[in-house]
Amino acid sequence: MDDFEAFLDDGGIVEVDDDMPGAYRQAVFAFIEMHANSELMGGLTERDWIPRTPGLRHKMAVLAKTQDEIGHAHLLYMVGADLAIKTRRDMLEDLFAGKSKFHNVFHYRAKTWGDQVAISFLVDAAALASQQAVFKNCSYGPYRRILKRIITEEGFHMRMGEERMLRIANGTEIQRTMFQQSLDDWWWPSLQLFGPDSKPGDVLLRWHIKSERNEVLRARWVQKFVPLLMSYGFSVPDPGLIHDTATGTWTSGPIDWEPLKRTLAMGGPDSARRIADAAANWADTHWVRRVLDDAPPRPAEVAA
Amino acid sequence: MTGLGSSVREFLLAFADDEHLMGQQHTEWIGVAPFLEEDLAFSSIAQDELGHAAALYAIVAGDGDPVDNDLRIDELAFRPSPDDWRCAQLVEVASDDWAHALVRHWLYDSAEQLRWEQVAQSSLIPLAEAAARAEREERYHRRHADGLLDVLLPAADSAERLQAALADLLPLAIGIFDPVAGEAEVVATGVASAPFDTRLDEWKDRVRHRFDFDPDRIEPMAPTGRLVRHPDFGPLLVRMREVIDLDPAAVW
Repeated sequence: MDDFEAFLDDGGIVEVDDDMPGAYRQAVFAFIEMHANSELMGGLTERDWIPRTPGLRHKMAVLAKTQDEIGHAHLLYMVGADLAIKTRRDMLEDLFAGKSKFHNVFHYRAKTWGDQVAISFLVDAAALASQQAVFKNCSYGPYRRILKRIITEEGFHMRMGEERMLRIANGTEIQRTMFQQSLDDWWWPSLQLFGPDSKPGDVLLRWHIKSERNEVLRARWVQKFVPLLMSYGFSVPDPGLIHDTATGTWTSGPIDWEPLKRTLAMGGPDSARRIADAAANWADTHWVRRVLDDAPPRPAEVAA
Repeated sequence: MTGLGSSVREFLLAFADDEHLMGQQHTEWIGVAPFLEEDLAFSSIAQDELGHAAALYAIVAGDGDPVDNDLRIDELAFRPSPDDWRCAQLVEVASDDWAHALVRHWLYDSAEQLRWEQVAQSSLIPLAEAAARAEREERYHRRHADGLLDVLLPAADSAERLQAALADLLPLAIGIFDPVAGEAEVVATGVASAPFDTRLDEWKDRVRHRFDFDPDRIEPMAPTGRLVRHPDFGPLLVRMREVIDLDPAAVW
């Protein structure tokens, strides 16, 4: 392990067929599986609102975004499966059985259109910040290459979220009131997405799977969004927020980590419904997978 | 060409409404299709159909000269009164069964190909251009549906589900060929090459060949000139307008 860690410290990149310690393989796999699950469950959170999108071409854009998220899950499950710990179907079935983790924010329900916009504005930015930090110095080659594409697409999503937020910020009182409520509901879960402060022995940092500490990423996100939201006349639901006027720095007040812990134990506000719905849909379409599994392979199609 | 006239306008709205609602119905399958590739395929096809609808509404909104303005397109795409819609009941009916969704996808797209062909040489140039663009996408839609049916129809369990869906949907699907009032004028002005129902027998042959089922065994619904909405349409329109109706003054 010492040699392996020295290799990683020298900027070594691990490929899927390389020898790697079992603990590293497991840590990379668990990280990718959670990322894949989160992309899929994030897509499911958004899908509830696609049919209600207020505009035809707007609907096409939202649909394209959700397609990207599910496409990310698709890529990530394949990268995860290559590590030969679980198959893609095992990962999906574990997710729908409530046995594997996904990000805390997707244990909440998008109750209004404002929530949908808040997700693409706050949550996508938080997820992007985390992914960028992983991409910067990730020691597992296949994941790093996939992240490059994911980050590019997430950048578009974030700009789309900003545009939608701007229309609401410049909109009617009904729109602004709805969005303020969404900010109140989604601010803390978004901030908690980064997780508690990284521990000194965090193997994800030591093995260069992550490159920045949780608290650094979280502080950067707060620093970006507090002044931005305030500049549009919205308030940030953090009574302990501190503004250092000398440096211009914003620091969040004390963070209650109990809601995050509940989501990790599948006890979030919408965890049970989300898992049950996804499992029911999976069961309803079992007949299709069964027939396709049993079908003889088709000859490769020649492109027209 | 500018100045559409009411017959051409009705004709285009009927086509646009069908495309819009077919796309809308496909959006319901994102994330809950049988496997991830199908989530992606349905979302891609839905985007294409919504795009066709947007192109057709844009022609109507500009009275023949397409507009590039979301507010004007959406005034047509989200008309509040069900009486003002001209869609076929096939795309109005709700479905929570994937066999239903797949069969509807095939029935609709096989007719849609013939429908675009009717306007491929249209005297209304933006419509002919939209037809050329649409057909480039539609060939992939048909390959998608056929590829799945090739595998699923020979297996007893899935064949039973698909044939049941076909029996449910065929009477409504024939309604795609139901003309709006004034179609004769649409043909007379060269906007369409012939009445759409002149292609009905060809479409029935495709159904016969695909499903090994004679569509003439099914009693079609009586033609309504697309003036009668399916009972599922009301809730669908409420769902589509849910956010819009929160505040008529808002731009989202």
